[in-house]
Amino acid sequence: MSYAQTAGHRGATAAVLVVGGGGLAVATWLGGEHGLALGLVVFYALAAAAAYFWSGRDSDVGAILRVGGDERQRRLDLTATAYAGLAMAAAAVIGAMVSAARNHGDIGQYGVICVVGGVAYVLSLAVLKRRS
Amino acid sequence: MKNRVSELRTAAGLSQGELGKALGVSRQTINSIENGRYLPSLPLALAIARNFEASVEDIFIPEGD
Repeated sequence: MSYAQTAGHRGATAAVLVVGGGGLAVATWLGGEHGLALGLVVFYALAAAAAYFWSGRDSDVGAILRVGGDERQRRLDLTATAYAGLAMAAAAVIGAMVSAARNHGDIGQYGVICVVGGVAYVLSLAVLKRRS
Repeated sequence: MKNRVSELRTAAGLSQGELGKALGVSRQTINSIENGRYLPSLPLALAIARNFEASVEDIFIPEGD
């Protein structure tokens, strides 16, 4: 049944933080910013440790960090993700505007983020609409 | 939407955690349903009704009824 709790894995979010943060740190190191790369390693290691220990607790956030939880917790996660997406979209649009104003109309990488977000939304809507 | 989950759970001598375990949801979700902060999905509402051997309409009552 769709309402039932899914177990999830305690290390799920921690693993994402380790892999994502590790990749970012390696890229930063390769870019020559060694101090910043080491700082990122420490930051993401602490964040992964916090996520791992928090996910062991019997709480809504703990269940969401395990990428599990019941229907209400999954809905909380989905809503929070939607708000985060809106915040990122707003930041990308504002960034594109500022970039265009400063660089003779060039919206730069913010424009790429806007296009990816817009296309992903339209495609998701089309697929989800067909399924429902 | 009002509901009688808390009343029926108490009458059955169950804690929120025990009811949540029986239904496969968290204690926090049972608490949110009882306080009217969360409206369960149809499958969960049916499971709650089945658990108390009642109908969904007996447990979940629209405001104004």
